[in-house]
Amino acid sequence: MKQLKALLAMALLVLTSGNMFASSHREAPITALDRSADVTDWYAFVSYDHPDRVTMILNVDPLLEPANGPNYFPFDPNVLYEMEVDNNHDGIPDIVFQFRFTTTIALPGVFTGYVGGIAGIPQITSLTGPGSTGLSLRQTYSVTMVKNGVATTLAAGLPTVPSNVGPLTMPDYNSLFQQGVHNLSNNVRVFAGTVDDPFYIDLGAAFDSLNFRMGVGGILSPSVDADDTHNYAPDAVAGYNVNTIVLEVPITMLTVDGKLHGAGEKEAVIGTYGATARPSILVRRSNVPPPTPYQQVNREGNSLINELIIGTGSKDKFSTDDPKNDGQFAAFFLDPLLAHLFNSVLGLPIPPAPRLDLLPLVQYMAPICPGCGPQDAGPIADLLRLNTGIPATPVGKQKRMGFLVGDNAGFPNGRRPIDDVVDIAARAVAGILVDSVKYGAAIGDGVNINENGYGTTFPYLIPANSGRNSHHVGPGQDGCSGQPNGICPVN
Amino acid sequence: MQKTIAMILAILGTAAAFAETAASRPPVLSPAQLGITRAQHLIDKNSRDYEAYNALAVALARRARETSDPSFYTQGEQALDKSFAIAPGNYDGARIQVWLLLGKDEFASALEAATKLNKRVPDDVMVYGFLTDSNVQLGNYNAAENAAQWMLNIRPGNLPGLIRAAYLRELIGDPDGAVELMKMALDSTPPSEAEDRAWITTQIAHLKLATGKTSEAEELLQTALVTFPGYQYALRNLGEVREQQKRYDDAVALFQQRYDAAPRAENLFDLAEALQMAGRATEAKTAFAEFETKSLAETNRADNSNHELIMYYADYANEPAKALEVARREYDRRHDVFTLDCYAWALHVNGQDAEARKQVEAALAVGIQDANMLRHAGEISLMQGDKAAAQRYLQQASALNAPDSERARQLLAALSLTTSTSAQP
Repeated sequence: MKQLKALLAMALLVLTSGNMFASSHREAPITALDRSADVTDWYAFVSYDHPDRVTMILNVDPLLEPANGPNYFPFDPNVLYEMEVDNNHDGIPDIVFQFRFTTTIALPGVFTGYVGGIAGIPQITSLTGPGSTGLSLRQTYSVTMVKNGVATTLAAGLPTVPSNVGPLTMPDYNSLFQQGVHNLSNNVRVFAGTVDDPFYIDLGAAFDSLNFRMGVGGILSPSVDADDTHNYAPDAVAGYNVNTIVLEVPITMLTVDGKLHGAGEKEAVIGTYGATARPSILVRRSNVPPPTPYQQVNREGNSLINELIIGTGSKDKFSTDDPKNDGQFAAFFLDPLLAHLFNSVLGLPIPPAPRLDLLPLVQYMAPICPGCGPQDAGPIADLLRLNTGIPATPVGKQKRMGFLVGDNAGFPNGRRPIDDVVDIAARAVAGILVDSVKYGAAIGDGVNINENGYGTTFPYLIPANSGRNSHHVGPGQDGCSGQPNGICPVN
Repeated sequence: MQKTIAMILAILGTAAAFAETAASRPPVLSPAQLGITRAQHLIDKNSRDYEAYNALAVALARRARETSDPSFYTQGEQALDKSFAIAPGNYDGARIQVWLLLGKDEFASALEAATKLNKRVPDDVMVYGFLTDSNVQLGNYNAAENAAQWMLNIRPGNLPGLIRAAYLRELIGDPDGAVELMKMALDSTPPSEAEDRAWITTQIAHLKLATGKTSEAEELLQTALVTFPGYQYALRNLGEVREQQKRYDDAVALFQQRYDAAPRAENLFDLAEALQMAGRATEAKTAFAEFETKSLAETNRADNSNHELIMYYADYANEPAKALEVARREYDRRHDVFTLDCYAWALHVNGQDAEARKQVEAALAVGIQDANMLRHAGEISLMQGDKAAAQRYLQQASALNAPDSERARQLLAALSLTTSTSAQP
């Protein structure tokens, strides 16, 4: 009976969570209830400054408000975070990098996760040792590589980078950010922590039934479309943070034969996705372990597939199933509802179904894999395919529209933070791959960049927004550098 | 605005924590008090905000747990009445209503209401939590287990599911498995949820204590008391640790502190027992008398201290008939393992050992490893002349090395003496 009173209070966490967040960077109904396991974005690209390496970025836990103390945003120690790589084109991961986090509350009597420059506690200037006293909420993590069923621990006890509380608590946050870059052996680098969310989108307009800002979105003018340095509509993600895990590894660790390959060789192409899982638990334990020790909660290969293509009734199933079984969702891929919306809302012509032009997103074939024959296509599987033989485009020459405008190192050949996946995916769905003239309307939301910028070296992201000093961007507010006086349009 | 208040309070709380090096000062406002303030603020801004009344009801019920003061449940119901007046039948309100029924120990009504809600929205995880809770309290353990498993299947790792599964594991005799899940729950509970963290830490300590890991339990309880100073559940468990260590006066002090914080009849019973153990017979007698008065005043309410009252009549007041009368009433309401054990013990002190054995063995058949319950089974078996069973039960109770193992050990010693004496030619 005494137990029960206590059990009841735990119910609160669920009772109250439903109304707290009503945003979308959260696609599937179940995932939307499990923030820390919600994969927001997945990136994989040939490192800009190391042509022999690939960088993968797994972002989780969406729309983190920088000022949202006192806990900020720890990774969940009960979530297994995974980066998965298929190198023999069967849609099944051959190499998996696993990340597990551990939390320590160093100061259990303190009400907030981070404190410094107050009450005798020094400012936080270091992730470990002197200067880290105020880091009450400490997280470390391990990196494990599973290859051919053999698990190898690549590192353990690495400190994560906390959220940027503000200048009094953390006077040199960029230094903390840099301290989060860990160089492991064999040219492997890793970073985990809270960063500025590199994703950019006019979320409000997109989800208001494609109600883009007049004169900006919908169909972009040639000048707006050609502008890769300014925003013309509000970036709904601006000023928000996200939790990230970034891993850089030599390409030879990923390819099927452990060698580098030219772009024309099929062995150069890998399929990747990011996933989160939680342990399977049986109330009544037995000697027989659960059929699967972990239960997948969420995954992402190609950006926006789950958000824009998969029907709501199937989103949870999609999130929790494996890419190799994606054939069951073929109807969504081959006749996307979004294309019909473009047709009805924007009055655009669209190619007839079945949309075989979209297959390169979900199978191994040209143009991402020019070396693949029909027998190499593999099953329909939502994997972010990356041709490691295509060299990275140097910083400064990268194009937000990526592959569609000849920047072949960009989405959907892998994905870099700069890639405008919203506009690229919209145009692909509208049929630009079938006929770039007939179906080539410049669909876009008018948000062309992350105005905070991008990292040019590992971890290719920029530090988290300050809890005290940052702000968001909305209609009628400052934050659209392409508009007169930088004010974002409302209508 | 809510965030602003929370942040200011957080900073104040931090400063206070550092200013006070001693871990004796409670946070400025408890999470429940903070919730009440927030909800009231929303209601002040908009008196037609039914969600704010729902939030107020939740916060008040939570305050009831923090303080053990059931009047907060009544206030919670009043807030809910206002919510329903504005938005009749609103779903969140209906969920909170079940929650309040459970808080008031009205288990059968809660099960009925939760079953209705489950039909209305079949995939609501929290409603499965209510089904688990009400079934556990009524002793329907299979139904409870099914509901808890459903919670974990549909949303792996969800906190309410983990907590419930942990409790079920304890009931079915898997304390280590329960600790495993409680630790996962702790990992997923943010530091600002001080009371939740203190509660989970206390539960882990309870599981350690019940399996003889006293020093681990003590360390955890000290942590819980730093996390949430003066936390009554931690004080109680620490009192049990002190009893185990035979530091009876220290135990009395802790139970007194706990009773001061939460002046409920059942808490007074623990204090009275500790006084008795400490050899402070006069104070114990006074405390038991006060307990009886207080407990009788609530004996016909759903939220009562009848388990303690039964034990008082059976073990201290030499009133076996009264013990059985209360036990029968409680048995009519529910068949959970603790009620079965109390009923069995009341039957035993009335000489009805066959039926007593049936009841206590029904409780133990669920799997629970409880030193007190096993000792009861041992004594009942002994009265039936079944020395082998008695020895087996008492050995199990003794092996747990829990606070309640001592009595079993004494009985066992006496029994083996008897056995060895009688075995000699």
